[in-house]
Amino acid sequence: MPAPKFLAAFLLAAAYLCAQKPGQLRTIPSGKPSMQFPDAPGRDTAQKVCGTCHGAEVVVSKGLTRQDWTQVIASMVTRGAKGSDDEFAQVLDYLTANFPPRTKAGDFGPSQLKPQQRPSGATGVGSDDKHVVDAEAASRGKTIYAAECVNCHGTTSRGTDNGPDLTRSLVVLHDRYGSSIGPFLRQSHPMQSGGDRAKLSAPQLEDLSHFLHQRVDDVLRSGPYNKVLNVLTGDAHAGAAFFNGAGKCGTCHSPAKDLAGIAKKYDAPALQQRFLFPQSGGFGRRGPGAARPNAVTVTVTVTAPSQPAVSGVLVNLDDFNVALRDSSGDYHSWTRTPSLKIAKHDPLAAHADLLEIYTDKNIHDVVAYLNTLK
Amino acid sequence: MRLPVLFALITALHAQSLDPAKLAHLPTDSWPTYNGDFSGRRFSPLSKINAANVNSLSLSWVYRVNGGGGAIKATPLVVDGVMYFTVPDKVWAIDARTGREIWNYSWQSKGGMHIGNRGVGIYGKWLYFETPDCNLVSLNLSDGKPRWHKSICDLDQLYFGSVAPVVINNHVIVGVSGDDLDVPGYLESRDPETGDLQWHFSVVPKPGEPGSETWPNAEAMAHGGGMTWVPSTYDPELNFVYFGTGNPQPVIAGKRRIGDNLFTESIVAVNLDNGKMVWHFQSSPHDTHDWDAVQTPVLIDGEVNGQKRKLIAQASRNGYFFVLDRATGQNLVSKEFVKTNWSKGVDAKGQPIPNPAKEPQIDGALVTPNQGGAANWPPPSFSPDTGLFYINASRGFSVYYIYDIDQKPEGWGGNDRGGRAESMLEAIDYKDGKIRWSHKWEGSGIRSGVLSTAGNLVFAGDPANNLVALNATTGDPLWHCNLGNAMSNGPMTYELDGTQYLVVGAGDTLYGFAMLSK
Repeated sequence: MPAPKFLAAFLLAAAYLCAQKPGQLRTIPSGKPSMQFPDAPGRDTAQKVCGTCHGAEVVVSKGLTRQDWTQVIASMVTRGAKGSDDEFAQVLDYLTANFPPRTKAGDFGPSQLKPQQRPSGATGVGSDDKHVVDAEAASRGKTIYAAECVNCHGTTSRGTDNGPDLTRSLVVLHDRYGSSIGPFLRQSHPMQSGGDRAKLSAPQLEDLSHFLHQRVDDVLRSGPYNKVLNVLTGDAHAGAAFFNGAGKCGTCHSPAKDLAGIAKKYDAPALQQRFLFPQSGGFGRRGPGAARPNAVTVTVTVTAPSQPAVSGVLVNLDDFNVALRDSSGDYHSWTRTPSLKIAKHDPLAAHADLLEIYTDKNIHDVVAYLNTLK
Repeated sequence: MRLPVLFALITALHAQSLDPAKLAHLPTDSWPTYNGDFSGRRFSPLSKINAANVNSLSLSWVYRVNGGGGAIKATPLVVDGVMYFTVPDKVWAIDARTGREIWNYSWQSKGGMHIGNRGVGIYGKWLYFETPDCNLVSLNLSDGKPRWHKSICDLDQLYFGSVAPVVINNHVIVGVSGDDLDVPGYLESRDPETGDLQWHFSVVPKPGEPGSETWPNAEAMAHGGGMTWVPSTYDPELNFVYFGTGNPQPVIAGKRRIGDNLFTESIVAVNLDNGKMVWHFQSSPHDTHDWDAVQTPVLIDGEVNGQKRKLIAQASRNGYFFVLDRATGQNLVSKEFVKTNWSKGVDAKGQPIPNPAKEPQIDGALVTPNQGGAANWPPPSFSPDTGLFYINASRGFSVYYIYDIDQKPEGWGGNDRGGRAESMLEAIDYKDGKIRWSHKWEGSGIRSGVLSTAGNLVFAGDPANNLVALNATTGDPLWHCNLGNAMSNGPMTYELDGTQYLVVGAGDTLYGFAMLSK
C-alpha cells in the first residue's frame, strides 16, 4: 500500500479524533436498537457493508487492532458480508481509526465517560447500565485483591478448592461499582488480612469491583485473550518439502522471488492465515498501515454469439447475469443465456484446492518454513 | 390432541385473532406461526404461483422499516389479512394485501444484544415477542397496545431475547439466547394470559440427574450453556415439543467440560404439558466449534422400508443430516450433507464421533465446516410432494485456535479465524440422506431461509442478493428478483381474495410479490 495513501488516512483519522473527546465515539444512546455508525470518514461505507446484517452497537463496542479488525472483516466475508475490495478497505480504515484497542491508559476511564453514556457492553451484550471498568481503578483493585482475596479465589479469580470462581459469581455480575460486593463482604466474609468481614472503605470496594469486572470482561470475545499464541510448532524442513512437493507451491511461488523476505512482512500467525486463505486479506503485515484486504482479481472471459470475447475483472456472476470491468476500465454486463460462454479464472483456486488435502502438520510445517524466509 | 379445549374460546373472537385449529396444517389464508404451522416444513399447499407461471410473478408492495439497525430476520405472521413482524425492540402490523402500516410498537430497551429477532407468536387476540433486554412482551393484536411484560432471563449474565415465541394451545414457548459468558440454557412455557411460568426445561442436568454423567462436575454443569435459539416444532398427536439445543460452554475451550455434555447440541423432545424430556439425540457430542444444533427439527410423515413412520429431520450446523423417529428419538439416517473433516464417523446411536485432533488447538486446526456452519438459524423446508428436504447450505473452512491456556478457560478462550466458503441449495432425500440435487451458487455467504410449495417451487436467496425460484423437483432456477440486499429471513406465502402472495425480507425491507389476477 502506498505510503501517501496511508498517511492521508492517518491524518484524516487523527483530525477526526482530535475533534472528538476521547471515547466519545463509543457513546451509544441508551436502548436505541437501530443504532447508526458514528460519523467519521468511511462511515457510510461501514453502514452499508455492516449495517445490512447487524446494528452498529455490535461493532462500536469493540476495540481492536488493525490486524484484528482485518480478521473480523475476513470472517464476516465468509458469513455473507457484501462489498467491493475498496469498500472493505474503507471499512477497515474506518474501524481501525475509530475503534482502536481500549486498553490504553485513559481510554475508558470514568473521567471521560459517565456510566449512562456507556456502550451496551463490551460485546454489545449486557445491560445498558452495566458496570464499565475503569482501568486505573481496576489496577488499584488488583492490589486489594492480592492482599485480601487471592489465596482462596486464585490468581485469575476463577476459583480454587478453597474459594469459588468470582468471574462467574452472580454477586459480581449483578454488582455495579461495589453495590453488591460491598454489602456482601462487609456482612460476613473472611479476609486474608484477618477478621470475619471486610473493613475496606467504599472507594476500596469500588476499586475491587472494577478489578473483578475487568476479570469478567477479559473472558469475552473482545478480551485480551483474543490472539493467536504460537503457530511455530512445525518442521521447517518438512515444510520446504511440502512446498516443493505435494503442495506444488513452487508452481507459482519462489522463496527467492515473490516470497523473499515474506517473514519480515508478516508475523507467523498472519503467514499461516494468509497462505490458507489468501483471499481473506493482508492481516498481520509488519510495518505501519499495510493490512488492507487483498484485491481478489478473479477474471472472466465472456463470449456472446458472433461477438468478440471480452475479458476483465469479474464484477458479478450469478445464475442470471454476468458483469466485468475490462482493462480500460469499461464496465460490461450480459444476461446469461445458454449460448453465452463464460470462462472464469480464479488465480487463488490452487489455494482453495489445497484446503482439501492439507493435514494440520502440513500447515504448521509450511508456516515454519515460510517463517525462515526473512 | 389437546387443541379442542380452546376451540370454543378462540373461534368466538372477532377479527385479528387466531384460531389455533388452523395450526395443525398450514392454512392457505394465513401464516399463523413462525414456521407457518407446527411441523416446521414451511411447505405451502398453494399453487397459484407455480413452476409454469412463476415468470409472471409481480412485485405488489414494499415496506421499509427505515431502521438502520440490521436486517429483518423475522418470518412474518399473517392472521386475518394482517402481517406482523419484528426487528429487535420493534413490532409492526401491516396490511398483508398492500404493505400499508397499521400500527407499530417500540420497546424502550435497557440493553442486550440487538443482533436479530425472529418474530412474533400469536394467541387469540394477543401477540408475543422477545426483547434483547430479556423480556417477553404481550401486545394487543388489533392496535399494538402493550398488555404486560415478563422477565425471561438475566441481562447481567449476558443472556438476551431473540427467539420468536411459539404458541401451542395455552402455552407460550420461549427460548433464550446468549453465548458470551458461561451460563445455562433453558426453554420455558409461559401462560398466554399472564406471562407466568408454567414450566422450565433446563438443558443441562443437575448433579445426579440423567445426563450428569457426561459432565466432569457440578460447576461445569451449572455453566454448561445450551441456548434455545430457534422456535420449536410440535406434534399434536404425540403432544411433544421439539427443539434443538445450542453449544456447550465455554464454547471453544472445552478442556474443563470433558464428556459429551448432554443435553447441549441435541434434538430434544419434551412433553408440552409439563416440559419433561421424552427423548434426546445428540448431534454434536462435546462440541468445541460453536455448532449449536438448534436448526429447525422438521416433522416428516414418511415411509421407511415400506412402513409409515413419524419422522423428524435436521440439517445440522455441523454438516450432518439426521432423520429420527419422532416418537422415540431412534436414529434412522446420519449422513453428511456437506463434506466435513471433524468426525471419525458415527457411533451405534447415529451420533458423530468427534476427532480430538480437530478440536481447537493452540497452533490452529483446519476445520470444515467453519464456525458459521453448514447450516445456521435460517429455516429449511420439506416438501411432501417431492419428498425432499431443502437447505441453503454452506461449506467453509477456517482455523480454530485456543487462545487461553489457563487451566480453567472461560467464556471465549479461543475462536476460529479466516475462511473460505461455498454455498449451495441442496435437496436431500429424507429416506437415505442422499442429495438428490444440489444447486451451487456463485459466491458464498448466503444465509436465507427456504420455502417450498405445491406449485413445485422452492424459494431461496442466493449470494448475489437474488430471491430465486427453483423447480423443486430438478433444482433448475426459473425466476429471480435482485433485492439489493441479501435475503435475510425465511420466505412465506399466503392467499387472500384469490391472490397468492409471496413475502421475503432483505435488509430493512419486506417485499410482497403476488400472482395478480388478470
